[in-house]
Amino acid sequence: MKDSVKSIATLLPSPRLLPNESEVEFQSSLQGLLSELEKPSPLNVALVIQLNECLWWVKRHTMDKELLLHESMAKILCRADTYRDVYDNHVVSAALEGFFSGNASKKDKQWVNNLLKEAKLTVSDLRARGFKDAAKHIKMADELIHRQYQTMRHLQKSIDAVDFKSRLIKRMDLELTTFENNALAIDAKSS
Amino acid sequence: MASSRNSRKHGLTVQVDFESSDVYASLKSLLSEEGFSSFMAADIATSLLHYRRVMDAYYDTYTSPEPVNELMRDMSVTDSMPIFREMLSEPDDVRDMAAFFANMQRKEQRKGGPVSRRTVDCHKLIRYQRHAISRLPKAIRPA
Repeated sequence: MKDSVKSIATLLPSPRLLPNESEVEFQSSLQGLLSELEKPSPLNVALVIQLNECLWWVKRHTMDKELLLHESMAKILCRADTYRDVYDNHVVSAALEGFFSGNASKKDKQWVNNLLKEAKLTVSDLRARGFKDAAKHIKMADELIHRQYQTMRHLQKSIDAVDFKSRLIKRMDLELTTFENNALAIDAKSS
Repeated sequence: MASSRNSRKHGLTVQVDFESSDVYASLKSLLSEEGFSSFMAADIATSLLHYRRVMDAYYDTYTSPEPVNELMRDMSVTDSMPIFREMLSEPDDVRDMAAFFANMQRKEQRKGGPVSRRTVDCHKLIRYQRHAISRLPKAIRPA
């Protein structure tokens, strides 16, 4: 990418990543979007960077929806009678994350199964109850995702407007050249 | 109100004079070079800076939710009654103290874990984001 094209992007504060996120992945997604631009200009490159950040936020909030469910399920399990003393949501939440993604250690798997037994719940019961309890927060996460999609629509509209403007300038340039050529031809004829 | 408290924390309720900053001047000049009129370049530069400001505040809000007060969340008010009795002589005061802690605990538990907290905090910034982004296409729209 030319330096002149990069320039607005370097002037604006860059989108920041979370400590566990990959800069390489972020850049590769950005390059993918930039390659879609017919004629990159400094402004639409800056807009595409914002668009890429929105996609990142959608990912984060989508992951959060699952984490909200885990938090809620962990709360239910921790309240099971025998385990009332072990009210460590974070630990149970992490164990549940591994349990549902299928990569929990044998010990964690056993622990979650014991908690389920104590709470007299099946996995699907727990999920249903967890969803019910976390519904308010999950709805909020959905609204945050929806906001990002709306922002992306605004950014797309802006990119289109920049593209339209550059196409318009190009057309006007061509028309001007034609007028100039015609005028030159007329001058040549009259002389 | 909690939402205004949250936005005040990030200075989003305060008007910022972007026009006197160097970044604004550089952005405006680059946009003018791209063929935008001086007025449009100024409008676009302000909109971009405003949008970035909101998104940076959004990131900060997401990454630093109010910490969970584990002591308050996990304490047993019933088990704490002897301590309250030791501290206070009047039975009414002991009852009030227990009610106060029970109320605080309910509030703390209702806030949920860190993911719930950051979701609620970010949700409060939706209107700032909506306002910031809506300015941009208007500033860029073709004449």
